[in-house]
Amino acid sequence: MLNEWLLALAEYFAAQQWSIALHESIYLYAWVETTHVLTLVLFLGMLAIIDLRMLGWAFTGLSATSMAERLNRPMLVGFAVMVVTGFTLYYAIPIRTTQSIWFRIKVVLLIAAGINAWLFHRALRNAGATWNDRTQAPQRLRAGAGVSLLVWSGVVFTGRAIAYDWFDCHKPLSGWMFWAAGCVQELAASETASH
Amino acid sequence: MDLLPLFDWLDTSWLADLAKANGGVFAVVQMFHLLALVVLGGMVLVLDLRLVGAVFPEVPLREMLGYTRKWFDGALVASLVSGVFMSSAVAMKLYYNEMFWAKMTGLLVGALFVYIVERPLLRQSGDDLRPATRRLLGASSMVIWFTVAASGRWIGFS
Repeated sequence: MLNEWLLALAEYFAAQQWSIALHESIYLYAWVETTHVLTLVLFLGMLAIIDLRMLGWAFTGLSATSMAERLNRPMLVGFAVMVVTGFTLYYAIPIRTTQSIWFRIKVVLLIAAGINAWLFHRALRNAGATWNDRTQAPQRLRAGAGVSLLVWSGVVFTGRAIAYDWFDCHKPLSGWMFWAAGCVQELAASETASH
Repeated sequence: MDLLPLFDWLDTSWLADLAKANGGVFAVVQMFHLLALVVLGGMVLVLDLRLVGAVFPEVPLREMLGYTRKWFDGALVASLVSGVFMSSAVAMKLYYNEMFWAKMTGLLVGALFVYIVERPLLRQSGDDLRPATRRLLGASSMVIWFTVAASGRWIGFS
Protein backbone atom coordinates (compact mmCIF):
# COMPACT_ATOMS: atom_id res chain seq x y z
CA MET A 1 0.00 0.00 0.00
CA LEU A 2 2.82 2.41 0.93
CA ASN A 3 4.46 1.79 -2.45
CA GLU A 4 1.24 2.76 -4.24
CA TRP A 5 0.92 5.96 -2.18
CA LEU A 6 4.53 6.97 -2.78
CA LEU A 7 4.16 6.33 -6.51
CA ALA A 8 0.91 8.33 -6.64
CA LEU A 9 2.65 11.24 -4.91
CA ALA A 10 5.59 10.99 -7.33
CA GLU A 11 3.21 10.95 -10.31
CA TYR A 12 1.42 14.01 -8.91
CA PHE A 13 4.74 15.89 -8.69
CA ALA A 14 5.91 14.61 -12.09
CA ALA A 15 2.84 16.08 -13.80
CA GLN A 16 3.56 19.57 -12.46
CA GLN A 17 4.98 22.13 -14.84
CA TRP A 18 7.79 23.18 -12.49
CA SER A 19 8.97 19.61 -12.10
CA ILE A 20 9.09 19.13 -15.88
CA ALA A 21 10.79 22.51 -16.39
CA LEU A 22 13.44 21.69 -13.78
CA HIS A 23 14.06 18.24 -15.24
CA GLU A 24 14.36 19.57 -18.77
CA SER A 25 16.36 22.69 -17.91
CA ILE A 26 19.83 23.01 -19.39
CA TYR A 27 21.57 24.54 -16.39
CA LEU A 28 19.22 24.82 -13.40
CA TYR A 29 19.16 21.11 -12.51
CA ALA A 30 22.96 20.99 -12.73
CA TRP A 31 23.23 24.07 -10.49
CA VAL A 32 20.89 22.56 -7.91
CA GLU A 33 22.85 19.31 -7.88
CA THR A 34 26.18 21.14 -7.65
CA THR A 35 24.84 23.21 -4.73
CA HIS A 36 23.62 19.98 -3.08
CA VAL A 37 27.11 18.42 -3.30
CA LEU A 38 28.89 21.60 -2.15
CA THR A 39 26.65 22.06 0.87
CA LEU A 40 27.07 18.37 1.61
CA VAL A 41 30.80 19.06 1.89
CA LEU A 42 30.06 21.99 4.22
CA PHE A 43 27.61 20.05 6.41
CA LEU A 44 29.46 16.72 6.49
CA GLY A 45 32.86 18.37 6.74
CA MET A 46 31.80 20.15 9.95
CA LEU A 47 30.02 17.06 11.28
CA ALA A 48 33.04 14.85 10.57
CA ILE A 49 35.30 17.25 12.48
CA ILE A 50 32.98 17.18 15.52
CA ASP A 51 32.73 13.37 15.37
CA LEU A 52 36.49 12.94 14.93
CA ARG A 53 37.06 15.20 17.97
CA MET A 54 34.61 13.13 20.04
CA LEU A 55 36.45 9.97 19.03
CA GLY A 56 39.75 11.57 20.08
CA TRP A 57 41.20 11.29 16.56
CA ALA A 58 41.51 15.00 15.68
CA PHE A 59 41.63 18.47 17.29
CA THR A 60 42.39 16.78 20.62
CA GLY A 61 43.79 19.99 22.14
CA LEU A 62 40.47 21.82 21.78
CA SER A 63 37.44 21.55 24.04
CA ALA A 64 35.03 19.05 22.50
CA THR A 65 31.75 20.71 23.49
CA SER A 66 33.05 24.11 22.42
CA MET A 67 33.87 22.65 18.98
CA ALA A 68 30.41 21.13 18.72
CA GLU A 69 28.80 24.46 19.68
CA ARG A 70 30.85 26.65 17.37
CA LEU A 71 30.74 24.46 14.29
CA ASN A 72 27.02 23.95 14.78
CA ARG A 73 26.01 27.09 12.89
CA PRO A 74 27.97 26.50 9.63
CA MET A 75 26.91 22.86 9.86
CA LEU A 76 23.22 23.77 10.12
CA VAL A 77 23.49 26.30 7.27
CA GLY A 78 24.91 23.49 5.11
CA PHE A 79 22.19 21.11 6.31
CA ALA A 80 19.36 23.54 5.52
CA VAL A 81 20.55 24.20 1.95
CA MET A 82 21.25 20.49 1.49
CA VAL A 83 17.69 19.57 2.49
CA VAL A 84 16.10 22.20 0.21
CA THR A 85 18.28 21.24 -2.81
CA GLY A 86 17.79 17.54 -2.00
CA PHE A 87 14.01 17.90 -2.11
CA THR A 88 14.32 19.93 -5.34
CA LEU A 89 16.34 17.11 -6.92
CA TYR A 90 13.63 14.61 -5.91
CA TYR A 91 10.94 16.99 -7.22
CA ALA A 92 12.70 17.23 -10.61
CA ILE A 93 12.79 13.44 -11.14
CA PRO A 94 10.17 12.12 -8.70
CA ILE A 95 9.12 8.78 -10.22
CA ARG A 96 12.55 7.32 -10.90
CA THR A 97 13.80 8.58 -7.52
CA THR A 98 10.83 7.08 -5.66
CA GLN A 99 11.52 3.76 -7.39
CA SER A 100 15.26 3.79 -6.63
CA ILE A 101 16.31 1.23 -4.02
CA TRP A 102 19.31 3.44 -3.23
CA PHE A 103 17.11 6.47 -2.54
CA ARG A 104 14.97 4.34 -0.24
CA ILE A 105 18.00 3.07 1.70
CA LYS A 106 19.26 6.67 1.85
CA VAL A 107 15.99 7.87 3.40
CA VAL A 108 16.14 5.07 6.01
CA LEU A 109 19.75 6.03 6.79
CA LEU A 110 18.75 9.71 7.08
CA ILE A 111 16.08 8.76 9.63
CA ALA A 112 18.68 6.65 11.48
CA ALA A 113 21.10 9.62 11.41
CA GLY A 114 18.37 11.88 12.83
CA ILE A 115 17.62 9.48 15.71
CA ASN A 116 21.35 9.08 16.39
CA ALA A 117 21.82 12.88 16.44
CA TRP A 118 18.95 13.22 18.93
CA LEU A 119 20.42 10.51 21.20
CA PHE A 120 23.89 12.04 20.84
CA HIS A 121 22.72 15.51 21.92
CA ARG A 122 20.82 14.03 24.86
CA ALA A 123 23.96 12.14 25.94
CA LEU A 124 26.01 15.33 25.44
CA ARG A 125 23.70 17.26 27.78
CA ASN A 126 23.68 14.49 30.39
CA ALA A 127 27.46 14.05 30.32
CA GLY A 128 28.05 17.65 31.47
CA ALA A 129 31.43 19.24 30.90
CA THR A 130 33.66 17.31 33.29
CA TRP A 131 35.31 15.35 30.46
CA ASN A 132 35.49 18.34 28.10
CA ASP A 133 39.26 18.77 27.93
CA ARG A 134 40.08 15.07 27.92
CA THR A 135 41.28 13.60 24.62
CA GLN A 136 38.36 11.19 24.34
CA ALA A 137 34.68 11.73 25.07
CA PRO A 138 32.73 9.30 27.31
CA GLN A 139 31.95 5.92 25.72
CA ARG A 140 28.33 6.72 24.83
CA LEU A 141 29.35 9.89 22.98
CA ARG A 142 32.17 8.06 21.20
CA ALA A 143 29.69 5.40 20.08
CA GLY A 144 27.31 8.10 18.84
CA ALA A 145 30.11 9.82 16.92
CA GLY A 146 31.21 6.51 15.35
CA VAL A 147 27.64 5.64 14.34
CA SER A 148 27.21 9.15 12.93
CA LEU A 149 30.32 8.80 10.71
CA LEU A 150 29.24 5.35 9.48
CA VAL A 151 25.61 6.29 8.81
CA TRP A 152 26.50 9.52 7.00
CA SER A 153 29.09 7.66 4.90
CA GLY A 154 26.22 5.33 3.99
CA VAL A 155 24.10 8.35 3.05
CA VAL A 156 26.88 9.58 0.72
CA PHE A 157 27.33 6.09 -0.79
CA THR A 158 23.63 5.52 -1.43
CA GLY A 159 23.09 9.10 -2.59
CA ARG A 160 25.80 8.72 -5.24
CA ALA A 161 24.46 5.28 -6.23
CA ILE A 162 21.04 6.75 -7.19
CA ALA A 163 22.69 7.80 -10.47
CA TYR A 164 23.31 4.14 -11.40
CA ASP A 165 20.53 2.09 -12.99
CA TRP A 166 21.63 -1.35 -11.73
CA PHE A 167 18.34 -1.95 -9.87
CA ASP A 168 15.94 0.26 -11.84
CA CYS A 169 12.43 -1.08 -12.48
CA HIS A 170 13.13 -1.91 -16.14
CA LYS A 171 15.81 -4.39 -15.07
CA PRO A 172 15.02 -8.10 -14.57
CA LEU A 173 14.76 -8.04 -10.77
CA SER A 174 13.35 -10.54 -8.28
CA GLY A 175 9.83 -10.03 -6.88
CA TRP A 176 11.32 -8.98 -3.54
CA MET A 177 13.50 -6.35 -5.20
CA PHE A 178 10.53 -5.03 -7.20
CA TRP A 179 8.68 -4.63 -3.91
CA ALA A 180 11.65 -3.05 -2.08
CA ALA A 181 12.28 -0.58 -4.92
CA GLY A 182 8.56 0.23 -5.21
CA CYS A 183 8.21 -1.02 -8.80
CA VAL A 184 4.44 -1.37 -8.45
CA GLN A 185 3.52 -2.26 -12.04
CA GLU A 186 6.50 -4.58 -12.56
CA LEU A 187 5.72 -6.41 -9.31
CA ALA A 188 2.08 -6.87 -10.34
CA ALA A 189 3.18 -8.13 -13.77
CA SER A 190 5.66 -10.60 -12.27
CA GLU A 191 3.01 -11.90 -9.84
CA THR A 192 0.48 -12.34 -12.68
CA ALA A 193 3.09 -14.20 -14.74
CA SER A 194 3.94 -16.55 -11.86
CA HIS A 195 0.28 -17.53 -11.30
CA MET B 1 53.27 20.68 -23.12
CA ASP B 2 50.78 18.30 -24.68
CA LEU B 3 49.59 15.66 -22.24
CA LEU B 4 47.75 13.62 -24.87
CA PRO B 5 50.31 10.72 -24.78
CA LEU B 6 49.81 10.46 -21.02
CA PHE B 7 46.03 10.25 -21.37
CA ASP B 8 46.42 7.84 -24.29
CA TRP B 9 48.60 5.61 -22.11
CA LEU B 10 46.16 5.87 -19.19
CA ASP B 11 43.26 4.96 -21.48
CA THR B 12 44.87 1.64 -22.39
CA SER B 13 46.44 0.85 -19.01
CA TRP B 14 45.43 -2.08 -16.75
CA LEU B 15 43.88 0.50 -14.42
CA ALA B 16 41.52 1.57 -17.23
CA ASP B 17 40.69 -2.11 -17.98
CA LEU B 18 39.79 -2.62 -14.33
CA ALA B 19 37.70 0.56 -14.12
CA LYS B 20 35.88 -0.01 -17.43
CA ALA B 21 35.12 -3.69 -16.85
CA ASN B 22 33.87 -3.29 -13.28
CA GLY B 23 31.16 -0.67 -12.94
CA GLY B 24 30.74 -1.59 -9.27
CA VAL B 25 34.42 -1.02 -8.46
CA PHE B 26 34.29 2.33 -10.26
CA ALA B 27 31.20 3.37 -8.28
CA VAL B 28 32.74 2.37 -4.93
CA VAL B 29 35.97 4.27 -5.72
CA GLN B 30 33.83 7.27 -6.73
CA MET B 31 32.08 7.15 -3.35
CA PHE B 32 35.43 7.06 -1.51
CA HIS B 33 36.48 10.02 -3.68
CA LEU B 34 33.44 11.91 -2.36
CA LEU B 35 34.23 10.99 1.26
CA ALA B 36 37.83 12.17 0.78
CA LEU B 37 36.44 15.45 -0.58
CA VAL B 38 34.22 15.82 2.49
CA VAL B 39 37.25 15.48 4.81
CA LEU B 40 39.38 17.75 2.60
CA GLY B 41 36.60 20.36 2.39
CA GLY B 42 35.97 20.19 6.14
CA MET B 43 39.64 20.75 7.00
CA VAL B 44 40.01 23.58 4.47
CA LEU B 45 36.85 25.27 5.75
CA VAL B 46 37.62 25.06 9.45
CA LEU B 47 41.08 26.59 8.91
CA ASP B 48 39.66 29.23 6.54
CA LEU B 49 36.86 30.11 8.97
CA ARG B 50 39.54 30.55 11.65
CA LEU B 51 41.57 32.75 9.28
CA VAL B 52 38.63 35.05 8.53
CA GLY B 53 37.88 35.16 12.27
CA ALA B 54 34.52 33.36 12.18
CA VAL B 55 35.43 30.49 14.55
CA PHE B 56 37.96 29.80 17.35
CA PRO B 57 39.55 33.28 17.44
CA GLU B 58 41.34 32.32 20.68
CA VAL B 59 43.09 29.28 19.15
CA PRO B 60 46.59 30.16 17.83
CA LEU B 61 46.84 29.86 14.03
CA ARG B 62 49.86 27.56 14.20
CA GLU B 63 47.92 25.23 16.50
CA MET B 64 44.95 25.23 14.14
CA LEU B 65 47.23 24.43 11.21
CA GLY B 66 48.70 21.57 13.23
CA TYR B 67 45.22 20.06 13.76
CA THR B 68 44.18 20.21 10.11
CA ARG B 69 47.48 19.57 8.31
CA LYS B 70 47.67 15.76 8.40
CA TRP B 71 43.97 15.27 7.69
CA PHE B 72 44.21 17.61 4.70
CA ASP B 73 47.30 15.81 3.35
CA GLY B 74 45.68 12.39 3.80
CA ALA B 75 42.43 13.47 2.16
CA LEU B 76 44.32 15.09 -0.74
CA VAL B 77 46.29 11.88 -1.38
CA ALA B 78 43.09 9.77 -1.15
CA SER B 79 41.23 12.05 -3.55
CA LEU B 80 44.19 12.06 -5.99
CA VAL B 81 44.55 8.25 -5.98
CA SER B 82 40.79 7.68 -6.39
CA GLY B 83 40.67 10.50 -8.96
CA VAL B 84 43.38 8.91 -11.14
CA PHE B 85 41.48 5.60 -11.05
CA MET B 86 38.22 7.30 -12.05
CA SER B 87 39.98 9.28 -14.78
CA SER B 88 41.41 6.11 -16.29
CA ALA B 89 37.88 4.91 -17.17
CA VAL B 90 37.18 8.00 -19.30
CA ALA B 91 40.70 9.29 -19.97
CA MET B 92 40.21 10.42 -23.57
CA LYS B 93 36.84 12.00 -22.84
CA LEU B 94 38.41 13.99 -19.99
CA TYR B 95 41.33 15.10 -22.13
CA TYR B 96 38.89 16.93 -24.39
CA ASN B 97 36.71 18.23 -21.52
CA GLU B 98 37.31 21.92 -20.68
CA MET B 99 35.78 21.62 -17.21
CA PHE B 100 38.23 18.84 -16.33
CA TRP B 101 41.12 21.16 -17.14
CA ALA B 102 39.46 23.95 -15.13
CA LYS B 103 39.34 21.59 -12.16
CA MET B 104 42.94 20.43 -12.65
CA THR B 105 44.13 24.04 -12.89
CA GLY B 106 42.16 24.89 -9.75
CA LEU B 107 43.60 21.86 -7.97
CA LEU B 108 47.16 22.81 -8.92
CA VAL B 109 46.57 26.41 -7.79
CA GLY B 110 44.99 25.12 -4.56
CA ALA B 111 47.89 22.79 -3.77
CA LEU B 112 50.49 25.47 -4.55
CA PHE B 113 48.54 27.95 -2.44
CA VAL B 114 48.45 25.58 0.55
CA TYR B 115 52.05 24.34 0.37
CA ILE B 116 53.85 27.46 -0.91
CA VAL B 117 51.81 30.37 0.43
CA GLU B 118 49.49 29.47 3.30
CA ARG B 119 51.51 27.02 5.37
CA PRO B 120 54.87 28.84 5.18
CA LEU B 121 53.11 32.11 6.06
CA LEU B 122 51.31 30.58 9.03
CA ARG B 123 54.45 28.78 10.24
CA GLN B 124 56.55 31.90 9.93
CA SER B 125 54.18 34.57 11.20
CA GLY B 126 51.29 32.74 12.86
CA ASP B 127 49.21 35.19 14.85
CA ASP B 128 51.55 38.07 13.99
CA LEU B 129 49.92 38.23 10.55
CA ARG B 130 48.06 41.47 9.92
CA PRO B 131 44.28 40.91 10.24
CA ALA B 132 43.72 41.99 6.63
CA THR B 133 46.34 39.51 5.35
CA ARG B 134 44.87 36.76 7.53
CA ARG B 135 41.36 37.39 6.20
CA LEU B 136 42.58 37.61 2.62
CA LEU B 137 44.37 34.29 3.05
CA GLY B 138 41.19 32.57 4.32
CA ALA B 139 38.93 34.13 1.70
CA SER B 140 41.32 33.28 -1.17
CA SER B 141 41.53 29.69 0.00
CA MET B 142 37.73 29.38 0.12
CA VAL B 143 37.36 30.81 -3.40
CA ILE B 144 40.06 28.50 -4.83
CA TRP B 145 38.68 25.30 -3.27
CA PHE B 146 35.10 26.27 -4.12
CA THR B 147 36.22 26.56 -7.77
CA VAL B 148 37.86 23.13 -7.61
CA ALA B 149 34.74 21.48 -6.13
CA ALA B 150 32.23 23.24 -8.41
CA SER B 151 34.19 22.65 -11.63
CA GLY B 152 34.75 19.04 -10.54
CA ARG B 153 31.02 18.44 -10.21
CA TRP B 154 30.40 20.22 -13.50
CA ILE B 155 32.58 17.68 -15.40
CA GLY B 156 29.61 15.33 -15.22
CA PHE B 157 27.31 17.89 -16.85
CA SER B 158 29.62 19.01 -19.67
